[in-house]
Amino acid sequence: MTITLDIVTTAALLFVVATGLLVIFGVLKIINFAHGAFLTIGAYGALATTAFNLNPWLSFPLAFVIGAAVGLLVERLVVRPLYDRPLDAILATWGLGIVISQFITLGFGREIQFARSPLSGTISVLGETYSAYRLVALAITVAVGIGFAVLIEGTRLGLSARAVIMNEDLARGLGIDTYRVRRMTFVVGCGLAALAGALITPLSSVDPNMGVPWLINAFMLVMVAGSSFVSLALAALILGGAQVVVSSYFSPILGGMTIVLLSAVVLRLRPAGFGRG
Amino acid sequence: MAEETTIDSAAPLTQSASPAPRRLRAIAVVVAALAILIAAGPFVLDTYMVNILIRAFHYALVALTVDLLWGYAGILTFGQAAFFGIGAYAAALFFTHIGFSPATITLAVVLALLAPALTGLLAGWLSFYPGSTPLYASVVSLAFPIVVTQIIFSGGTFTGSSSGLVGYQVFDLSIEAWFWIAGGALVVCGALAFIFVKSEMARVLVAIRDNEERCSYLGINTPRVKILLTALLAGIAGLAGFSYANFSAVVAPELTSFVFGTELVIYVALGGRGTLIGPVLGTIGIDVLSSYLSGDLPYVWKLIVGLIFIAVIVALPNGMAQLAKIAWRKVARGRGAIVSRPLAVRLHAKPAPAASTARLEIAHVSKSFGSLKVLEGIDLTIVDGELVSLVGPNGAGKTTLMRCISDGRERSGGQVRVNGVDIGSKPPFRIAALGLGRKFQTAGIFESLTVAECLRIACALNDQPSFLHPLEELALPAAAQLVIDVTGLADVLSREARFLSHGQKQALELAMVLALEPRIILLDEPTAGLTKSERARIGRVLVDLVAQYRLAVVLVEHDLDFVREISSRVVVLHQGRIVLDGTVAEVVGSQIVRNIYLGTV
Repeated sequence: MTITLDIVTTAALLFVVATGLLVIFGVLKIINFAHGAFLTIGAYGALATTAFNLNPWLSFPLAFVIGAAVGLLVERLVVRPLYDRPLDAILATWGLGIVISQFITLGFGREIQFARSPLSGTISVLGETYSAYRLVALAITVAVGIGFAVLIEGTRLGLSARAVIMNEDLARGLGIDTYRVRRMTFVVGCGLAALAGALITPLSSVDPNMGVPWLINAFMLVMVAGSSFVSLALAALILGGAQVVVSSYFSPILGGMTIVLLSAVVLRLRPAGFGRG
Repeated sequence: MAEETTIDSAAPLTQSASPAPRRLRAIAVVVAALAILIAAGPFVLDTYMVNILIRAFHYALVALTVDLLWGYAGILTFGQAAFFGIGAYAAALFFTHIGFSPATITLAVVLALLAPALTGLLAGWLSFYPGSTPLYASVVSLAFPIVVTQIIFSGGTFTGSSSGLVGYQVFDLSIEAWFWIAGGALVVCGALAFIFVKSEMARVLVAIRDNEERCSYLGINTPRVKILLTALLAGIAGLAGFSYANFSAVVAPELTSFVFGTELVIYVALGGRGTLIGPVLGTIGIDVLSSYLSGDLPYVWKLIVGLIFIAVIVALPNGMAQLAKIAWRKVARGRGAIVSRPLAVRLHAKPAPAASTARLEIAHVSKSFGSLKVLEGIDLTIVDGELVSLVGPNGAGKTTLMRCISDGRERSGGQVRVNGVDIGSKPPFRIAALGLGRKFQTAGIFESLTVAECLRIACALNDQPSFLHPLEELALPAAAQLVIDVTGLADVLSREARFLSHGQKQALELAMVLALEPRIILLDEPTAGLTKSERARIGRVLVDLVAQYRLAVVLVEHDLDFVREISSRVVVLHQGRIVLDGTVAEVVGSQIVRNIYLGTV
């Protein structure tokens, strides 16, 4: 039972971490390698709420806003000139990640710190005691997922974004301001990354390079998922589940490379990944 | 039929007298000068600097391999760190656990070469297959450092886990000796890499980067080229790692980490990808500066490097070397012109065809996407000296049929025989080797190569490109020579292909297909977008080719006037079936054809 809950909550965390990356990859067709750094920004946002003794629940909206604001700046300066050079965009955003983590180091120091959890203790689920916060994180993930589905399916921006995903030239020809769609998508993606950072903070420590392992797993999941949220959820569940199983029954170190290894093999055997292809 | 005629009205040979020795002499002079600098280094530099430089030389060696992969072959790789680390750990593990003797040293060297090379082979096999994307190759190259690092972490005391291995016995060499070894290795490898990147073989790498599909239809096994390159450079990175583990007498997981992999890419990007010298200077410069500055400004220095890196990627994609290059171009303009020379006609050197041998036999070929049938029951036999036009409205299945003939994995059913050989499910490069050339609808050329280089790549199947020599003289099959003479391409052999006009690009691709020395050529709308006079010229060329060399030509064409002028036979496709197969007169007079084009069938 515990392992089932572990699998579901781990998959949820992976999903929420990868969502921002997937959104940006889907619309902009570039990989935001600063995603891990945005995650870290969100985590330090949560740390700041602890430092200023604010309500810990505030850390989520705060993280989103900070992440989105930095994203807006970065889109203009770094990402926009690289729309046509996807491999270069990987590099430039990786450089951006270095810069962000150095700024954080200068501001907060390089040591490991801890943020206060909005919720502690355990609750009983079907006779098992389980971390209450992990279940809350699961609920928030589901909420983010539903919120996103509504945004994509129900709003004008979502419609434009879907049009850009399918055929950018045609979308532009139909009068959609694709630059605005790209900008908004990047901003939302960065905000989501920071939100995810705040969400994982109570479960782990905070340090300036904490985003890197998350970035790599999220990147792999997005590669496997293509540009579909359903595939991403599926990939997070299957590969995240495999990670939990390997970590629990074999070794946590092997668990750390499960997602990377399985994704590479899945893509070799089926280049479309979990998406339709 | 099998005579070998040499056409004597050949263009004059290259005028510049023996460029090869002159080039080698220039390289020798540079190598000698660098050798003197390396030899003098330890006497003029302080010990700290010498130590830093030894490390930087090792890193620069690996950066060279990253540059060959990324700058020339277009493979953005983070994986060279993994191979460097494997080489380093091969040395450390051997000397820690087995001992330090001539036997173990030999074994360790072999392992430091083979283990990374085999891992590289695996990485290459994972990364490169027909249809793989550059992004996927980068993903795989990212996975390797992570996996290797995790394996080291999980190795406990055997691999030293996170603290690494230290205190193993190493060669008892002075610091000067290490400087000479590392510096010497860098100069030698740099010179070899320089010779290689000027060679014909390096042009093949660039061609694959520019247009992989075109390469495979020219008979080049592109995945194999990339896999072998990856394995070879992995081995070299491994040897550099072996040497570094001996010099530093300590190995740690950082040597094999993903972060080191990205640092190598940063060095190469800042110095200037695709220039060799840029990445070497970039690596040495940044590593030396880091050593001096990171003490005083620990985080700020890394911040500055990050900012410069972003600025270079965004504004100066080819790095610092780009600036130097622009300046250099102003000084020395123009390369030596390349002149072409027609080869003896080798078309018929292969078994001479009997009067009308069936060249292309298509039996019951079908193609469906799910329940949608695009082609059904296609039977067609084409013999030498025929010029068959495939006509039919849009969506009739003409291009699909071309694909099914030139790629064995495309059709859903039926059999295709090329030159009497069943194509089975062979990939395009194997079918090209059977003697089938395909020209695409949008001209597939290699944008960053010159016209001569494009043509040279097209000859690669029958004439192995050299690893040592640059392209100095182009030897073309007569049919290809005919095309470049008639269309004026012969006068612009040294021009980069991207500067050609649309018509010239189409002609160049046709010449490239003919340089393959095929018996059958498939042409998909070779006249699309051409002017009337260009079209007429291409038409005459095609008729000549068929008449002179008895090629079998299959042509997809919309322009029925053009078809009427040049075809010996016309096949009408409609809704995936052959509705008519006859002479020009039969087709032109046919009521069915008229109805199809009027949309009444």
